[in-house]
Amino acid sequence: MFQSTRRSPGLRLRTAAGLAVAVVLLGACATTPPAPPTASLNAARQAITNAEQSDARQYASAELDEASQKLAMANRAVTTESMIEADRLAQESRVVAELASARTESAKAVAINEEMGRGADALNEELQRQGDQR
Amino acid sequence: MNVFSTQKIRRGKTLAALAFSVLVAAACATVPSSPQGAAEVRNKLTVLQNDPNLADRAKVEIRDAEAAVRLAEQPVSAAEAPLGAHRVYMADRQVEIARAKATTRYTEDQRARFAAERDAARLAARTREADAARYDADRAAADADRARADTARARADAERARADTVAANSAADAARRAEAESSADAARQAADLQRQIDELQAEVTDRGLVLTLGDVLFTTGSAELQGGASNRLNKLVTFLNEYPERRVLIEGHTDSMGTSEYNQGLSQRRSESVKHYLAQQGIATQRLSTSGMGEDQPVASNDSAAGRLQNRRVEIIIENPPLVIGASRP
Repeated sequence: MFQSTRRSPGLRLRTAAGLAVAVVLLGACATTPPAPPTASLNAARQAITNAEQSDARQYASAELDEASQKLAMANRAVTTESMIEADRLAQESRVVAELASARTESAKAVAINEEMGRGADALNEELQRQGDQR
Repeated sequence: MNVFSTQKIRRGKTLAALAFSVLVAAACATVPSSPQGAAEVRNKLTVLQNDPNLADRAKVEIRDAEAAVRLAEQPVSAAEAPLGAHRVYMADRQVEIARAKATTRYTEDQRARFAAERDAARLAARTREADAARYDADRAAADADRARADTARARADAERARADTVAANSAADAARRAEAESSADAARQAADLQRQIDELQAEVTDRGLVLTLGDVLFTTGSAELQGGASNRLNKLVTFLNEYPERRVLIEGHTDSMGTSEYNQGLSQRRSESVKHYLAQQGIATQRLSTSGMGEDQPVASNDSAAGRLQNRRVEIIIENPPLVIGASRP
């Protein structure tokens, strides 16, 4: 190719035009995948914020971490213009953040019940003791 | 034959091509299979759907998870493996979300049941406390009753002791007073007696008190009491009621007019008449005895009318009381 370009200026010009067209075409191809998956990314961010506000850090830190990692990966994918991958990672980040929230809620509910159970047991024990004293 | 054979060969080629293309197509069809992990997610979902505690508590989430799992199960070509993995990831997390939400609701329902149980326990406790309190109250009341009874008994004992003391004192006093009072009493009694004797217009003799009812009380020759007798006789009744231990002797007397037998009978009838009257006033007949003395004991001369009037009489002798007062008498 280098040899051919050096062969004649006319041919070189033609080759350059062809390259330019190819670049333009390639560029068109590169911009054809849609813009960054903003909706998915926003949804993921919102889901992570919600999870953090519901104490997921305490009750479902693994899921929350995973959500953050997925979001970071999605953002990285956006920078490399891998928009499909970015969208999928954003969705995965959102769903795992939602899972963090759901597990936080259930963990809290279970903790409350255990507390109540302890309270009820204590109450029953207390009553039993009172009963025994009679 | 040649033409035929070339035709055959052509047909065989076509068949081979067809078979090959079918094979290729089949190969193509088997290559885009369900992504790896989809079966596991389906299993998870099935387990959740068969959990009696959870299946009904997150219906919407389970339906969403079901859709996600179905999507994840869609065959993808080898080139689309990342899409398949993505779908499996999404489905897996959605099943987990459904499980977590169902667990939350199940736990909350359990909590309501806990609360109900605790209320029941509290109620039972309160009932037991109330029973215990009532039991205590009853016991306290019983204690109080017992204490009150003890107090009453103690008080009774104390009073009895006091009464004994008082009795002892009063016995001593009485003994002392008896000596002191016996003279005073005797004096008082004597004074009372004297007053009554005076009222009866009786005279004190050795035989006792002698009350003389004059002749005016009887019509001549009759044993019937006249109205005027009742005043003095009523005083006698009062006296006799006051001194119930005293017996009474009723003696009839006459003057010397008429035969002595007649006078004897008349005097007897008159004394009986007085006895009858006294008995009517409630004096026990055992206390009353009668005697007709006739004309033998005149108190005055029968020679004069005034003397004979005095001799016609009934004497009521109230005997001195037996023993005690008699003994104390000087």
